[in-house]
Amino acid sequence: MAYVATRGGERAIEQSQRLFCAEMGDITPDRIAEIRAAMPYLIDRIMGEASLYDEDLAALALAQTGGELYEAVLLLRAWRTTQPRISVAEPVTQDALFTHRRISAAFKDIPGGQVLGPTLDYAHRILATTVLDGQVSTPDPVTPAKMASPPRQPSVSAWQAENGLLSPAASDHLTGNDIPDVTREPLLFPAKRAHTLQSLARAETGGVLALGYAAQRGYGQAHPTVNELRLAEAEIVVTHPRGTRFSAGRVKVSQAEVVSKKGSQLELGFSATMGWNEVKVIAAATLDLNSKGAPKGSATEEEFFLYHTEGVESSGFCIHFKLPHYVTFQSSLDAMRDAKARKAAPEKSPEPAE
Amino acid sequence: MSLKTLTKPWEAMAYGFLDGSAKREIRRKMIKAIAVPGCQMPYASREVPMARGWGTGGLQVSLTLVNPTMRVKVIDQGADDSVNAASIRRFIARVAGAPTTMDTLDADLIQSRHRIPEEILRDDQVLVLQVPNPEPLRPVQPNMSIARQMHADADYGRMWLQLYEQIVRSGRVMQGASYPSLVHGRHVMTPSPIPRWDVPKLNMAQHLTILSAGREKRIFAVPPYTRVEPLVFSDVPYKVEDHAGLTCHRSGTRGFFMNEIPQEDGSSAFEVSDSEWGVKAIRRRDGEEVALGETWYKNGRMPS
Repeated sequence: MAYVATRGGERAIEQSQRLFCAEMGDITPDRIAEIRAAMPYLIDRIMGEASLYDEDLAALALAQTGGELYEAVLLLRAWRTTQPRISVAEPVTQDALFTHRRISAAFKDIPGGQVLGPTLDYAHRILATTVLDGQVSTPDPVTPAKMASPPRQPSVSAWQAENGLLSPAASDHLTGNDIPDVTREPLLFPAKRAHTLQSLARAETGGVLALGYAAQRGYGQAHPTVNELRLAEAEIVVTHPRGTRFSAGRVKVSQAEVVSKKGSQLELGFSATMGWNEVKVIAAATLDLNSKGAPKGSATEEEFFLYHTEGVESSGFCIHFKLPHYVTFQSSLDAMRDAKARKAAPEKSPEPAE
Repeated sequence: MSLKTLTKPWEAMAYGFLDGSAKREIRRKMIKAIAVPGCQMPYASREVPMARGWGTGGLQVSLTLVNPTMRVKVIDQGADDSVNAASIRRFIARVAGAPTTMDTLDADLIQSRHRIPEEILRDDQVLVLQVPNPEPLRPVQPNMSIARQMHADADYGRMWLQLYEQIVRSGRVMQGASYPSLVHGRHVMTPSPIPRWDVPKLNMAQHLTILSAGREKRIFAVPPYTRVEPLVFSDVPYKVEDHAGLTCHRSGTRGFFMNEIPQEDGSSAFEVSDSEWGVKAIRRRDGEEVALGETWYKNGRMPS
């Protein structure tokens, strides 16, 4: 029975999980609340990548995985996919967004105004090391502007379309469950527009950045100008079975429009995601801008970037190489050794097909 | 009649984890896959509580097929006790309440990564193979949309060319596992990274084989009694791994696919890859009464 005695699989995996969790200690409601309050941008990032807007669940996923982001996103996605669809909200339009920050690099001023909003863009990146010496770092109070900026603004591309600078995208009148849903149907190419935008919205931030940056650096045809970048809150309007329309709350969203000159027109690239994540939407909009007519197999081709920025799939596949591969390896070794033996004794090798 | 009698109490998850709509989609795609043997059917492929690339495709099929009376066996590279096989088996048992087994003869549903058991499967058994890459054309055409078109046109010229080039360069076909095979004379499929040793087991088999790639979102199938022919030139015969003469150093069983275990003295020892076959052989040697099924290979040869 020696063979049986070595079967330690179940116990080993149980103990390895315990070892991982032991380091993080108790997961308490306080810890969840603290993560949620202290790291809104991290929460936003994983909610976007998971396509699930729930700050508490996102904070829980972070706590449970010790901040292993790919694992946290997978936890949320696996939860999300089992949840029933109670209702599909009405489409969110750009001019209806409750806007916190909205900047354009294309024009000095834009209808509705440039709204700087919250950002670290102009911060000097210096560590507040005094905190480690025991001092509390308290943020300086914000002085409200004399005049509040308008909460709702049109998009810059709408103005450009009015002025004949770009052709607006054909509007899509699909609503509710008729909207193609990339989480409920396979992604095939050429991809449906909805699938492309959904895939970019849930793509892994680092992956989108890597390929978007490649396009920006020169592996893409089009150089992006940030038409507008917006951080906002979107009203989730649903219809009660009795027929009443009501707001189920607001979710944070980011969106970017980037444009590039193409002949006598501007070409528009667009991306939006849940949560506030500026790097992701600028990079994703750049990929969208470059995808039309991109050569097969290039980094800006839709199939290439949508497949390879899927974080749950790419990270899962990458770590699967840790699994035993000794059958496949043995099979390759066999072919290799045989080929080597044939080389040593060439008279034995059969003639290749004549 | 009241709302209460029409509904059931809230539960944290559906039976078998996947919800009804996911299972319905997979059932439909499995039927399509059986109807067109070897042809890859795209499906949504939901996330499951396991990492992509770790058997999520096979798992979704198993979770769709399983019921509380089905006996489930899970193997990874031939072994029931491999850590990931243990994890998948525990998950299926937990969410479906299905009994588990390690004995191939007792299993109704076998989920496997990269091996087909050595005992012949019956027509009442279903084999679910985990597939990392469903596209046999990937080495010659990485773009999925172009590859799809090539399958539609049965355009396998580049596939043949690749095999020919290997013979010219190395004196033999260098494909290790995942040997591309023609199913029912129409679609070339990858049998998943099973060794070449296992591919002939699929040809005209009594059992149903479902192959599922979760990350790549494709299901394909080999229905019972379907031709599965490895792509070979008529003058260069198909060659399985040279394991016919190897003996398992633990169980003494001989003529089956082996794992090679490097030894400190520079030599190699071998142990049978189908771990439960090895266990049963040891039990029988020790005097226990153990049922050994008929094997596909006899004396290290596949009867033709």
